[in-house]
Amino acid sequence: MATRDDVIESFGHVSRTTGTVFRYLLLAATLFGIVALTVLLIYVANDAIRPLTADPGWHLAFFLTLVLPTLAVSGYLFRTDPASFRFGAGVVGALAVSTMFAGGAAMIFVDIVSPVVWFGYVIALCLALAGVVVIERFDRQLPFLARFVGAGAVIVGSVLVVPGLIQSLPVYPTDGIMLTLSLGAPVAVVVGRYAAADAGRRGQALAVLAGVAGVGAGGVLGPLLAIGAVPATVLLAVAVVPTAGFAVGTVRRTPARRTGLLLTAVVLGGTLVGAAAVDALGFAGPQSWVDWQFLTSAHSGNAVDAGLYPAIGGSILLMVTVAALSFPLGVGAAVYLEEYAPDNRFTRFIDVNISNLAGVPSVVYGLLGLGVFVTYLGQPTGTVLIGGATLALLILPIVIISAREALRSVPDSMREASYGMGATRWQTIKNVVLPRAFPGILTGTILALGRAIGETAPLIMIGAPNVLFSLPTALSSKVSAMPLQVYAWASLFASEPFYQAAVPAGVVVLLIVLLSMNSVAIVLRNKYQSDSK
Amino acid sequence: MTDNSEQEYVAGEPTDDPTTDDMRAQTDVSTSVSSSGSAVHANTVVRAENVDVWYNDEQALKDITLDIPENQVTAMIGPSGCGKSTFLRCVNRMNDLIDAARVEGDLYLRGKNVYDDDVDPVALRRRVGMVFQSPNPFPKSIYDNVAYGLKIQNKEGDYDAIVEESLKRAALWDEVKDRLDESGLELSGGQQQRLCIARAIAPDPEVLLMDEPASALDPVATSQIEDLISELAEEYTVVIVTHNMQQAARISNKTAVFLTGGELVEFDDTEKIFENPESQRVEDYITGKFG
Repeated sequence: MATRDDVIESFGHVSRTTGTVFRYLLLAATLFGIVALTVLLIYVANDAIRPLTADPGWHLAFFLTLVLPTLAVSGYLFRTDPASFRFGAGVVGALAVSTMFAGGAAMIFVDIVSPVVWFGYVIALCLALAGVVVIERFDRQLPFLARFVGAGAVIVGSVLVVPGLIQSLPVYPTDGIMLTLSLGAPVAVVVGRYAAADAGRRGQALAVLAGVAGVGAGGVLGPLLAIGAVPATVLLAVAVVPTAGFAVGTVRRTPARRTGLLLTAVVLGGTLVGAAAVDALGFAGPQSWVDWQFLTSAHSGNAVDAGLYPAIGGSILLMVTVAALSFPLGVGAAVYLEEYAPDNRFTRFIDVNISNLAGVPSVVYGLLGLGVFVTYLGQPTGTVLIGGATLALLILPIVIISAREALRSVPDSMREASYGMGATRWQTIKNVVLPRAFPGILTGTILALGRAIGETAPLIMIGAPNVLFSLPTALSSKVSAMPLQVYAWASLFASEPFYQAAVPAGVVVLLIVLLSMNSVAIVLRNKYQSDSK
Repeated sequence: MTDNSEQEYVAGEPTDDPTTDDMRAQTDVSTSVSSSGSAVHANTVVRAENVDVWYNDEQALKDITLDIPENQVTAMIGPSGCGKSTFLRCVNRMNDLIDAARVEGDLYLRGKNVYDDDVDPVALRRRVGMVFQSPNPFPKSIYDNVAYGLKIQNKEGDYDAIVEESLKRAALWDEVKDRLDESGLELSGGQQQRLCIARAIAPDPEVLLMDEPASALDPVATSQIEDLISELAEEYTVVIVTHNMQQAARISNKTAVFLTGGELVEFDDTEKIFENPESQRVEDYITGKFG
């Protein structure tokens, strides 16, 4: 449409000054947050682990055997094959995180639920499941109510009777064998099927057997290595076998990633060689406050001897209780509000108030727990049940909100497709909506649990003891928790040695537990995102 | 019907010549459809009598009366917002899911008024298959997608055989027979829509409702779906909503023209609608003067 013959000399310029200033302001804000957090973490970690107290030879030995080879291999892999690098690093990370969870699980089996009791309940559940399957298979004509009541009776009866029966047996297998069967076998079935997914029935059966044998080795190796049969079996079942299965399965699926295992081998081998070298040459390691003694002993008036063991166990038990209470309640409420509730004034009122409740200070929830559970219901103060219930109330709004978000992200076209096929609302929720939303729901719940594990105020309000010398063994025992123990060290026992030793060490352990929980949530979310593409 | 000489009939194309007789002369849409036999005396499967639909206070359909014949393709055409999809969703009562929607009048499926008080909409939808505008397979395996209707309806029978048969009818079997356990979402758009068709026909419905099934697809996938619809009409009563007039002309035996305001302006054999419509508004619409 050019009607003129002019040649354009220049288009001129449009100012971007404001935009550029805005961009760097945002960058500065981001950097400030990240840098402040990093400095804080380094400061605390330095106080807790004290790397500078180590012999320079110790640093040099590990630098040569672990850091240097790891850097070299990482750099090489990262340049040639980033996917392999991520796989290798993923295996190392999975091993580290799962070892921590294995530590927690071992604590439970050693001090809280003995393997016999656990074995009894697993057998009871298996029998109950078999009973339900038989009822379903036996007669499809049975009315729904009869099947429902029958299945319930089988489950309750089995759980009530079988564990007692097993515990009253005159002889039962060793702890290692019982754990191998009740914990190792289910793990081995899942892991074996994943690792040998393409190998047919026979290959999968072999892989499952190999997994069981691997876990069973703990019963033999544990006593030999002086760590006991139970911890060794748990470690193998929770950490080593699943990680190995993940590595084998991935390599079988995408053989090109095999080189990533080089990184894993270098990290593990470097650690072992470094430890051996340091031992042989007599270099002293750092005098870290976070050490085996700190993790396995109770509070002591002497800061150097103080430990976190009852608090770690208490936090684990609290988390189990909180998860068991808040997950069904929160997800149930979210499903009702999202899928069933009509859109009227009442539900909008509830909506707004759930968001408000998510912002209520935790100390208020502590008061609520004290008022409702202790004063009104007359429960004893400071027990696992009361603490767990109070923390569950605290995170319930967060669980509901995040679960609703996950349910809302299921496209309506999926629901329409299901209704269009003649599905009832229940069938649609069960078959289409929940499976699709489940990873998101799980991620939100784990992040909410991360909030609960760091809470101190509600536990103080409900009268949890500041100092506890043994692990709680039942829902009705008194419980302490990691943040509460740290708070007690910083307030009741406020003195220079505690500030220097116990407090930073406790904070570091708490942060490590928190970060590893969040890392599980992130892994779940990433997997979810790549699956739903 | 696969003789697509009527593709030259481009109704939406602006033309200087207002006399549409010339255009009709170029196309033999009438002959190609009438040759497949628009049996006037076919059994009526769906009969609508004075159906009105409101969304809150806004009337979306006005006094619709029409008979949909068995084992034929009935097309609903019209501009956006004219209520053709709304009508389709009345047949299997999907409008019940929208709080604001209100349906009045009588709509019979094989002689039973689906808006009677004793009709369970869920049971009704098990007799009526539906395919949606954009492909919406479940995030499950291809097999589970097709078997979904059988599972939720607790149907007896050999699921493997039914799944295979449905995928064959949906012309998808050869492409997916080696990967039935892969996710339905890994298929291409056209394959996903054929998977949705297989899913809809697996429980063997009385009627197959299709709501613009090809509008989100490319031309090749569209033509595959169109061929498929013509084949399905041998066994099923198909009602298809489309805003693509050539598509209606190519694949349907009967055409209903809805125009803005939710009125059914004309309903007749497809060749009659495209060759010699009664209403001036329909003629204007199909010759591309508006819409």
